[in-house]
Amino acid sequence: MRETYAAPLPGMNLADLTGKLIVIEGTDGVGRSTQIRLLRPWLEQQGRAVLDTAIKRSELAGKGIQQAKEGHTLGRITLSLFYATDFADRLEHEIVPALRAGFVVLTDRYIYSLMARAVVRGADPRWIRNAYGFALKPDAIFYLRIGVDDLVPRVVFSRGFDYWESGMDIHPSEDMYDSFRKYQTGLLEEFDNLAKEYNFDIIDASADARTVFEHLRAGVARVLSGEPREPLFSVAATPLDSAEAGAKKVLEMPLVKVAAASDEPAAPQALASGAEGDANR
Amino acid sequence: MKRYGEHRFPGKLFVVEGIDGSGKSTQLLLLHQWLQAEGYGVVFSEWNSSPLVRDTTKRGKKKQSLTPSTFSLIHATDFADRMEHNILPLLKAGAVVLCDRYIYTAFARDVVRGMDRQWVRELYSFAVRPTAAFFFRVPLDVAMKRILDGRMGVKYYEAGMDLGLSEDPEESFRIFQGRILDEYEKMVPEFDLTTVDATLPIEGQQTYMRQIVKAKLAQAKRLRVAP
Repeated sequence: MRETYAAPLPGMNLADLTGKLIVIEGTDGVGRSTQIRLLRPWLEQQGRAVLDTAIKRSELAGKGIQQAKEGHTLGRITLSLFYATDFADRLEHEIVPALRAGFVVLTDRYIYSLMARAVVRGADPRWIRNAYGFALKPDAIFYLRIGVDDLVPRVVFSRGFDYWESGMDIHPSEDMYDSFRKYQTGLLEEFDNLAKEYNFDIIDASADARTVFEHLRAGVARVLSGEPREPLFSVAATPLDSAEAGAKKVLEMPLVKVAAASDEPAAPQALASGAEGDANR
Repeated sequence: MKRYGEHRFPGKLFVVEGIDGSGKSTQLLLLHQWLQAEGYGVVFSEWNSSPLVRDTTKRGKKKQSLTPSTFSLIHATDFADRMEHNILPLLKAGAVVLCDRYIYTAFARDVVRGMDRQWVRELYSFAVRPTAAFFFRVPLDVAMKRILDGRMGVKYYEAGMDLGLSEDPEESFRIFQGRILDEYEKMVPEFDLTTVDATLPIEGQQTYMRQIVKAKLAQAKRLRVAP
C-alpha cells in the first residue's frame, strides 16, 4: 500500500492509489522538462495513461505565487508555505485522483526541491520536513545531477540568469553570475543530502539529453515492471566542484543509487538528522 | 529560524482567542483604547489581513475548493506573511501589538478539520510566543444566541459546512463550534492561556484584562507616539 512520510491527510484513502508516482528532480536549467517531454509519448506508446504536473501549477495558488514573486516581497517562511499550499492543492486535486485512476504520474519536481530551497534560505530542516509530512512517498525519484560548472553554460546560452534561480532574494553576491554560482552550489549540496536521506536514483545530467533519456527510460521501465533496484553504487563521496571526475564515474553505470542504511526513505530519520544539523536554533 | 517561545524583543504581544460570539473583539477594542490613552505605541493586527495571500484565499473560498490541508496551509501562509512583515518588525521596534486571533485559532480549527495535532503545531513553530494570550470562555448556547441575534446567517467555512456535519448551516455551526471549544479547552494548560469568563459583564472582563496587561507592561519601555 502507498505510504506518506508522516500523518496522511484527513479522508485520504491510500489503499486504492494503484497508479505510479514518478518524480523527476533536479536544479534549475538541468533539463527536467525536456526529459518529461520525451518520457510522456514513450509511455503513451506503451498504452500508459500519463499525467504530467509541475510546481506552481495548482489552480488555487499557482497564480498567487507568480504574482507574489513578481513583487519580490514575500518573506522566506511565507514563500515556503505558499509553495506548500500549491503542493497540497495539486496533490489532492490532480495527483491523487490520477493515481486512483491508475495513471502514471510524472511530476516535474516534488517536495525535495521545495525543501532544498527553503533550507538554503535558512529554514529549519525539521520544520520544512514536517510541513511536507503528508506527501505521498513516490515509486521512484530520479535526480538529474549536475555540477555547477556544467550548469552555468546551459543557463547562459539558453535563457540567462533568473532572479530567483540566482537566489537574488537572499543576496549571495552583488553580481548575478556570482550569485547564481553560490546559490546553486548551496542548492546542489542540499540536493545531495536529500539524495541520501530519500534514496534518490541519480542520473548524470551533464551528458547530452539523449543519453540522459536512455538512462531515465531504463529506470522508469524498471519501476513500471516492478523490478527491484540496481545494486548499491555510491556517489556520495563525489564533491560537486570536481564534477568531471564524478561525472565519469556516474556515467559508467546505467543507474546509480546513493548508499543508504535501508531501503525505506523514512521520515523519522529525516527528523533526527534535521535536529542534529541545526545548531543555530 | 527562531522557534516558538525563544524570542526576546522589546515589544509586547497580546492576543485574544475564543469562538465567534465570545466577545473577544469587543474586549480587544477596549484594551486598545486604554493603551492608546496611556500613551503606548499600540498596533492592532488583524487575522486574514495580508493583501498578498488574500486573493488566493478568496479564490478558494468562493469556489469552495479548499480542503482541510489547503485551508490550513493558506491560512498559515497568510499568518507567516503577517508575522514576517508586520508583527516581528513591530515587536523589534518596541510596540505593543494586539492580535484578534492568533495561532491557537488555527490549532483549534485545523485539528477539528482532521489535520494532525502535532503537524499543525510544528507548522506554526516560527510564531512568536505572546506576552499573554486571553481565552474568552463562553458556553456554546450563549455564543450561538449572540451570533444569531446579530447577523443574517453563518458563512460556509465558519459553519464548518465543508466537513459535512449537517445540511443545516445553523446545526453545522453548532457542532463545529462545539468541537472548536473542546480544542480550546485542551490548549488552556498546554499554552498557558489566560481564561476570561466571557459571561461576566463587559466592564468586569475589561478590568481583569487591564490588570494583567498592566503587570506585563510594568518594565516595558514605552514607545511614545507623536500626539
